[in-house]
Amino acid sequence: MSNAITEFAPQGELTDQSRFSSFVDVLRHHAAQYPNNPAYIFLPERGGERLSLTFDELYARAEAFAGRLAEQSQIGDRALLLFSPGLDFIVAFFACLIAGVIAVPIMVPRRAGSRDASAAILADCSPRLVLTRRDLLTAARPDLAQRFQANSLERLFVDSCATDTSKLRPSLPAPGWDDIAFLQYTSGSTSAPKGVVVKHCNLIENSEMIRIAFGNTERSTHVSWVPLYHDMGLILNALQSLYVGALCVVMAPVAFMQRPLSWLRAIHEYRAEVAGGPNFAFDLCVRRYRPEELQGVDLSCWKVAFNGAEPVRANTMERFASTFAPHGFDPRSLQPAYGMAEATLLISAGRRGIGPKTRGVSREALQRNQIAAPAQGQDCQILVGCGRQLPGERLVIVDPETRIPLGSGLIGEIWVAGPHIAEGYWRNPEATSSVFKARTMSGGIQYWLRTGDLGFLSEDGELYITGRIKDLIIIRGTNHYPQDIEETVQNCHLALRRHCGVAFSVPDQNDEEQLVIVQEIERTFRRGLAIDEIIASIREAIAREHELTAREVVLIRTGSLPKTTSGKLQRQLTRQMFLAGSLLPALEPPIPFNRG
Amino acid sequence: MQAENPSEAAIRDWCTEYLARTLDLPAQTIDPQTTFARLGLDSANSVFLIVELEDRLGLELTPDLLFEYPTICALAHHLAECVGR
Repeated sequence: MSNAITEFAPQGELTDQSRFSSFVDVLRHHAAQYPNNPAYIFLPERGGERLSLTFDELYARAEAFAGRLAEQSQIGDRALLLFSPGLDFIVAFFACLIAGVIAVPIMVPRRAGSRDASAAILADCSPRLVLTRRDLLTAARPDLAQRFQANSLERLFVDSCATDTSKLRPSLPAPGWDDIAFLQYTSGSTSAPKGVVVKHCNLIENSEMIRIAFGNTERSTHVSWVPLYHDMGLILNALQSLYVGALCVVMAPVAFMQRPLSWLRAIHEYRAEVAGGPNFAFDLCVRRYRPEELQGVDLSCWKVAFNGAEPVRANTMERFASTFAPHGFDPRSLQPAYGMAEATLLISAGRRGIGPKTRGVSREALQRNQIAAPAQGQDCQILVGCGRQLPGERLVIVDPETRIPLGSGLIGEIWVAGPHIAEGYWRNPEATSSVFKARTMSGGIQYWLRTGDLGFLSEDGELYITGRIKDLIIIRGTNHYPQDIEETVQNCHLALRRHCGVAFSVPDQNDEEQLVIVQEIERTFRRGLAIDEIIASIREAIAREHELTAREVVLIRTGSLPKTTSGKLQRQLTRQMFLAGSLLPALEPPIPFNRG
Repeated sequence: MQAENPSEAAIRDWCTEYLARTLDLPAQTIDPQTTFARLGLDSANSVFLIVELEDRLGLELTPDLLFEYPTICALAHHLAECVGR
């Protein structure tokens, strides 16, 4: 294997784990070493059954299911993983790894008729199988049966597969270091999703980087509510705990949304060391804090409270630390982190025991992509550091136009290289070449991953994220492509001009991103338009198609949307005009954005 | 919505006020007969509405309630019955 990690790791930190030959090897190792230790526990919602799997049980169930899989597939076939929250996903995921079938985790499409990426993912990776539960397709969501009825798509139910340990298990060839483990579809728009090809080597290398940064051991119990089909839920929670041989306590995402304090109670009960999520999760805990609901809860065990997948806010972390200090929460546990599926997951993070770093910079200079000391109080914006580069990784800041590497304190695009960087997107050489095969002007044969994110490195190597090159919208940790939302808007009423509307987000008074739509009206429709009706149709369509609430919908005059001379949309400029109240409304005088 | 057993009208008014704040709309423009879907409520905000109602009414509710009772009026009617029981 690569010796990159050995070079960079502090003395004595490396364990035998870096010698795993595949992720199946990791599971087999733990099943042999600690067969009866709990690997996963699923906390049910009210009234449900608490489920658990030891390392040995997980291995046995995954191997039995892998036998069934192998009968109906060939090595290298793709299998969709379609599961509601629970432990079946984990069993099916490992069954795929054992059988050499490429796992493709997907979100359960929300409701009948709603549009999502599942159809496009199906077309992109042409799976042979869909792995799911019988009761999900029959009782709970019969609409899904139709959705996944594509010809030649076989269904295999994890709940109708007995674990017969007495039977001789079919001998399956062990997967290798360089074999594909799974496809992570979190990039690309709804209509053109891109599946990151994650190999066993990427998974082990990034798991090892995470282990070193967070200082995890087999005692590092995790408590996670982040969905398992989400790269953060999978890599940073469920697979990291397994990698170090620790327990992961899994909660349903909706249980967390409804009762965020139950996450904290679980951390207390299981004496968990590691638990994290996107920034909004920490805000939600503060907002829903009721002292009487957390009586006797002691969070002093919580060593790594990672915060990633959306911009990390300084005041969120301050509020969280002060709210939960009476429960023994140590502010040094807060760990802002940065990553993306293209790098398997983690790109930068702090180190265990070292709290977040912040830096006050000039807001005005930042808008020009420059870092300067704030002129006065009003001009000061607090940025939160996302930690340092990981052991075995290379991280540079590059001018995205000239591809010249920049020194510390200068804003540019973040480029990354290392053994955790995936080889590319599934059967998409064009996107692979532009994203994964970048080279700097300073020469060298090194290929770099272009993250599309802007940031700078401080003199002490701390990475600060300052923005994005692409107009990606991130709300509650989920990426949304403005193009998808704009198309939905323009499809929902004839009066709405095609290619003449934009979607973007602005922070509200709680610093949470909120969706805003600015859309032109066709001139011919200007008379006698029921503006309220159109706005209601837009809101309805956005909630249905994208699971988002539009905070503001502004209909503007024909031809008044800012565009470049070549006719390209200018989302950032439109956003600035919206905030300044200088857009031209279709019928009424301009309404200033209400931040209150 | 302070009373021990809030009336249907009180629940309806509270929901309207709450959604006006969530959606950043003037309360008088929210028609309580409009469906939640039409108001553009996503699943996260549906959960938050349910949680607030649970707190205020002392009931255990599920987010699916907004599918069964898809307007403010229908929901308020149902909740007032639950509270009265």
